[in-house]
Amino acid sequence: MFKDLIKLDLLPTSWCPGCGLGQIMIQLAMVMDGLGLNHTNSTVISGVGCTGRLAGYMNVDGIYTLHGRTLPVAEAVKLVSPDLKVIVVSGDGDLASIGGNHLLHAARRNPDLTVLCNNNNVYGLTGGQAGPTTPRNTKTVSTPSGATYDPVNLQNLMKAGAKYFYAKTTVYHQLHLRNCIKEAVAWPGFAFVDITCQCIENNGRRLGFNSAYEMLQHFRRTYKRAPDGAETLGSDEIGIVRQG
Amino acid sequence: MRHLVQGNEALFLGALKAGANFFAGYPISPSTNILVLAAEQAVKDTNFKFIQSEDELAAANAIIGASLAGAKSFTATAGPGFTLMQEAIGYAHEVEVPTVFLNIQRVGPATGMPTMPAQQDIVQTNYGSSGDYYPLAFYPNSVAECYRYAITAFNAAEESLSPVILLGDAFVGHLNEVVDLDDIELEVIPRTRPPLGTGKRFFTGLAHDEEGNPRTADAGVYREWLTKVKARHEKVASRYSDYEFSGNPASDTLLISYGIVSRVVAPLGSTFALFRPIRMFPMLGDELRNHAQGYEKIAVIEANDGQYACLVEHELKRDVIHVPLLGGRINLDLAKQGLKEKLEREVP
Repeated sequence: MFKDLIKLDLLPTSWCPGCGLGQIMIQLAMVMDGLGLNHTNSTVISGVGCTGRLAGYMNVDGIYTLHGRTLPVAEAVKLVSPDLKVIVVSGDGDLASIGGNHLLHAARRNPDLTVLCNNNNVYGLTGGQAGPTTPRNTKTVSTPSGATYDPVNLQNLMKAGAKYFYAKTTVYHQLHLRNCIKEAVAWPGFAFVDITCQCIENNGRRLGFNSAYEMLQHFRRTYKRAPDGAETLGSDEIGIVRQG
Repeated sequence: MRHLVQGNEALFLGALKAGANFFAGYPISPSTNILVLAAEQAVKDTNFKFIQSEDELAAANAIIGASLAGAKSFTATAGPGFTLMQEAIGYAHEVEVPTVFLNIQRVGPATGMPTMPAQQDIVQTNYGSSGDYYPLAFYPNSVAECYRYAITAFNAAEESLSPVILLGDAFVGHLNEVVDLDDIELEVIPRTRPPLGTGKRFFTGLAHDEEGNPRTADAGVYREWLTKVKARHEKVASRYSDYEFSGNPASDTLLISYGIVSRVVAPLGSTFALFRPIRMFPMLGDELRNHAQGYEKIAVIEANDGQYACLVEHELKRDVIHVPLLGGRINLDLAKQGLKEKLEREVP
């Protein structure tokens, strides 16, 4: 049962009602359950902030690392324990901003890691400041007149190397999300899953959404599946691009 | 067998003797040849894992991950690299991770004088990261001691479940001496915590309870945890109250020095009583107090502007004269000159 992979006695989680992290955790647990991954053969390593709490709710050995340092910790764990399945769950701010240098070089070295990026376009836990993925002109508490710069292009960053695995999905597209996680776990290298996720309390309401449901419906309307064999995902497409 | 061995090399060989099997680092003078030795070791022995990290932040966090995965891990750095590693050192204290940081000091602040020796990270070693923590730190002054205290650092890390800092300087690190390392026999303390992949534990940098569950607003849980950790560190430190003392009934002054400076001022033993701490932190307390008794003056000579002197003053609750040797120039003439000025007397 996938529920065996979650510390049910710790529920409810510390996440806000409507947060998408619970869905990411459930889908990860379902994938792990399906692949026979458990506390004897896998570890979940998470970053700081809301996403950082995820490892603590999983029934495996988990690490909550420092801000941005998820990947160096995970890469070392994998090097020491090659038989262990190492799954990283970290936020967009953690991976692409404060840990940006580590992301660049971990992807280059291509260790066998599965990286799930909870991409909510904002620094959620600290109260809704602009992050590296915040779209230009978005109003946040640290960009009161709109974000000044274009967001980082994670797909292009991940595709910089000769070998890559980049999946784009959303919390609305549950089966697609699960499939992306499954394919990423099976990928023999650095597999990055960019998961668009709603942060209703510290981003969505400021953008005019009244509920997490409205944000999910927005994801449903915005994102379409990329055609089979697509080599590049458009900004409104979900899918997987890879090169082994 | 007697060999010509360099200080940095002896640190590395001591780490191997202690069972180290993981190194992550970023090249930085004057510690770089330790990284090079680790890279060569990984080629010779596939059980020894090596990462040349993208920066010191990554290196310091990698040795923490490696330790949690079951390896005996270490890094080597200097000056600004050690500063970058401070966040990980605090994290390792919160998560209770045994690992070893070698810091081969040079002149700072910032890039400073990269190849010149100094002892400028004394305060940073004890207080460099955020929060309250109680690091164990050692400072050898010879090639043989580099080997011995590398083993000791790994042992103390296992016993205290914390990152232990081994200090050196550009002189000690690059010192060549003929030694027989086989003569140095120390017990090696094995890892006790099971590696990742054997439980359902949560290792977090958040304040947490015994089970590892975050307790971020519970002062009682936090105080209980800190008290427990502090007591453990003090207990481990008490096993390694290492120092050297040579009394001098004819002198009214106790001269305190450590690391390379203690080698330089050794000839002054005929003029002063000499005290050399080897365990730098936690500060030697009773040992310092006992040996300071009977001496009218206490002077600390060190290659910084009074960092250890201030801590000795605090420990002894007495005025301490500080004699700085700055800018990477450390020799007996400068030491005599500094002492003469501060003590206002001739130093033969």
